[in-house]
Amino acid sequence: MGFQSKGCTLRGTGDKMTEIAVLVKRVPDTNAQILVSGDRVDLSAVKWVMSPYDEFALEAAMLHKEAKGGNVTAITLGNADCDKVLKDAKAVGVDRIIRVWDDSWSELDSNQAQSALANVIRDLGINIVYCGKSAADTGAGSTGPGVAERLGWASASNIIGLEFEDTGVEAMVPAATGNARTGVSLPAVISCDKGFCKPRKPNVKGIMMAKRAQVEVMSSDIPSSSVNIISHSPPPKKAPGQTFEGASEVPRVVAALRNDANVI
Amino acid sequence: MSETIVIAETRDGELHPVTAELVSAANNLGDSTTIVVPSTNDAAANSASSIAGVSKVIACVGDCFAAYDAASWAEAIDSCAPSGVIVCAASQNGKDLASRLAARRSISVVQDVVGIDGGTLTQPIYSGKAMQNLSLNGDAAISVRANTFAAAGDGGSAEVSVMNQSADVATAVREMIAKASERLDVAEADIIISGGRGMQDPANFANLERLADTLGAAVGASRAAVDTWEEIPHSMQVGQTGKTVNPSLYIAVGISGAIQHLAGMRTSKYIVAINKDPEAPIFKHADYGIVSTWEDALPVLEAELKALLG
Amino acid sequence: MAYEGLDFYDIESQLSEEEVMVRDMVRDWVDEEVIPNIEEACRDGRFPEEWGKALGEMGVLGMTIDEKYGCAGMSYVAYGLVCQELERGDSGLRSFASVQGSLAMFPISAFGSEEQKMHYLPQMASGEWIGCFGLTEPDYGSNPGDMITRAVEDGDEYVLNGAKMWITNGTVADVAIVWAKLDGVIRGFIVEKDDVGFSAPEMTGKHSLKASVTSELVFQDCRIPKDRILPNVKGLKGPFSCLNNARYGISWGAIGSAQACFHSAKEYALSRIQFEHPIASYQLVQNKLAWMLREITKGQLLALHLGRKKDDGSWFPEQISLAKMNNVDMALEIARMARDIHGANGILDEYPIMRHMANLESVKTYEGTHDIHNLIIGRWITGIQAFTRTV
Repeated sequence: MGFQSKGCTLRGTGDKMTEIAVLVKRVPDTNAQILVSGDRVDLSAVKWVMSPYDEFALEAAMLHKEAKGGNVTAITLGNADCDKVLKDAKAVGVDRIIRVWDDSWSELDSNQAQSALANVIRDLGINIVYCGKSAADTGAGSTGPGVAERLGWASASNIIGLEFEDTGVEAMVPAATGNARTGVSLPAVISCDKGFCKPRKPNVKGIMMAKRAQVEVMSSDIPSSSVNIISHSPPPKKAPGQTFEGASEVPRVVAALRNDANVI
Repeated sequence: MSETIVIAETRDGELHPVTAELVSAANNLGDSTTIVVPSTNDAAANSASSIAGVSKVIACVGDCFAAYDAASWAEAIDSCAPSGVIVCAASQNGKDLASRLAARRSISVVQDVVGIDGGTLTQPIYSGKAMQNLSLNGDAAISVRANTFAAAGDGGSAEVSVMNQSADVATAVREMIAKASERLDVAEADIIISGGRGMQDPANFANLERLADTLGAAVGASRAAVDTWEEIPHSMQVGQTGKTVNPSLYIAVGISGAIQHLAGMRTSKYIVAINKDPEAPIFKHADYGIVSTWEDALPVLEAELKALLG
Repeated sequence: MAYEGLDFYDIESQLSEEEVMVRDMVRDWVDEEVIPNIEEACRDGRFPEEWGKALGEMGVLGMTIDEKYGCAGMSYVAYGLVCQELERGDSGLRSFASVQGSLAMFPISAFGSEEQKMHYLPQMASGEWIGCFGLTEPDYGSNPGDMITRAVEDGDEYVLNGAKMWITNGTVADVAIVWAKLDGVIRGFIVEKDDVGFSAPEMTGKHSLKASVTSELVFQDCRIPKDRILPNVKGLKGPFSCLNNARYGISWGAIGSAQACFHSAKEYALSRIQFEHPIASYQLVQNKLAWMLREITKGQLLALHLGRKKDDGSWFPEQISLAKMNNVDMALEIARMARDIHGANGILDEYPIMRHMANLESVKTYEGTHDIHNLIIGRWITGIQAFTRTV
């Protein structure tokens, strides 16, 4: 598929079928305790789930199909342990489930992961990709915009509202001065925050469909890694609780929340 | 000489102060720092030139910078910026842009950096439950969290060169809508301010709501408050029979800290307690306890937060 | 802390992917919809109608029945896991699903005509129609064989007379499977809520299963068309085969109640400070928690193995009696022990303990009392039945 013009006019996809993809990732449950053993996190005992924001992306993809037709393909990147998140996506009704992997790969850096995903998305003839605004493991939020750039597509990130149009979507994108009602022409990558839709739940019939569904495995050329993970370490220990006397101490607490705790 | 390129953070066309922190981060990484200032004009670039420790300022000027559009920003900035390690702010748009720029140059991106020590970068993973230490093998784009590095001082006088760009925007902002001050649900919020029976009257929860608006927080309540006052709905209740919450910051006001309440909020990352009774059990669980009546403490808190967050 | 079921022996490794998916689907729904609302439902003495609809939407009603009838055709282990998660919410909720699936839909699927199956099962699977099961009578509980309710033929109709008691879902049911004697032989009949001469007044004043509807069924010259008889079963075998399925589900359900109590007791013991330390640090409390874990783990292994036998058809009814009896018994003991650990707080509805405890008193008695199951096993051991004697 060729590179689309990036003019202000929203271009449609003509009479082409909308091919929708949703990127889903297997991550430790956000309630899981993360232990560091030696110099690596020990994930052997954690419960694995679909990354929470991806559930909203999945719902957006399904809503897009219901509004405008087309097919939804769920794509994940990882080894066979990641089949479960694809089955979870299948259980709520996606048409096709694809895992991107090669047994010669181990942990991929962002450059490698995005290249692999972008290559597969290009090969599949997808014209809109939904993903979570960030994954619960890295929290980085790089994949959506990174994949879009590699494909030469438009993107809107962290969206909190979505309308489907014949030639694109209208996304609500939070900005410093308010929320921007933004037109996005296809092809595009949309990364989703939570809250604008309620992810559908599977039912037993969907689960039986998922049981019978085959995971397709696809691979791709990737560049070499340019990031070395040296070690993992536990987070810095919190200081013991402090008690302050009187309202005049409030500024000190606010400063601590800002500078030490980094929560405001 | 390794080159580091800071992408200035701007807000409404003006240089955001976090840019000076990015310069400090960049100076930790390389020995020559260039700032690229994306804007519709060169005013912000001129103010960037006074940041100390900067070799060069590039005003990347184009109409596409009128509103954030990832594709055109990345295209325009990419053609202005020399090669090297790119440093953005770990803001919503900064992270988005870092990803785009890295992808455009086929290099890796490392987000939310909270430490740079020699060649080792540190970033939180699993929502801060662990830290990842890594080194770069070539160029990369990184985003750096605010408050990680002290801001570089003034007194610089770097040369400003203007480069005009004309990238086509890929997305079109049709309308800006003011953010509704809609009340967040406690189960969803990252910051929660809860009141207990110590608030004395349900009307006093208005004080908590004003604070919540400033912080983008949700307002919660203890069971005692919900049971005592009809005006405080069950949906606000945090605790054993209410909602179990896990925010970054939980501010408990006039809540003694009964075991049933603690069951719903004790896994909060940081807990602030305001209570006039120094013996209240909530203080045993608070990271920051303030022994004070809410009437005295809340106005100071509100003023401080307003000053900080605007 | 979010709920994660106790799984000391890694039972999960023995489950198929779809069994885990079904369990997690129900687990999430119970966490989101049931647990936040159950105390209010109990206080109001009401089964929330929307829960029945939700169970239908999830597809767990009659989920072991063939897909041809709008059901899921899933394993008995999956059904057991659903019962476990529902009863972790509340025994009344699990009772609703047991009655709908095992006691109302199952006899239609096993003993009904093809027309009956096509007519009733899809509507019941979706939760559109609610079913109930009428076997027990005011004077005949453990001894249903001597039931009084009678049916007589009258032209194109059967005429039913008699009364049933302790009927879960009775008042809200659209369809009742009623067991009555026709010419001295126990037969199953499908009675619909608008049939002339049929009424189902609710029984009130329960201190147990408060979020479940319990009713009488009254038949006063109740006339039903002849095609409402279940053609393919005669005698006590009919109702007993239904009860086998329901009792099997209870053996899993009780684990759910026990898990809820254990989870609450563990959390409480870790956070309650007395004599300057969490009470979880005291040996007497640890002893109780260890006992709970031990009994839950044994109960899980019992239920799982029985489920696999249900699925491959190699089971016999006494095995179900053992699992129902044991698991309800251990759950009730765990509820009482958990109340102890919670101290005075254990009596509050802030915690699920007293509710589960009171529910389990019913569960211990219904679907074959604890003692009757002992007699069933006693008969299996000795070959001597001890139910009846000539005095």
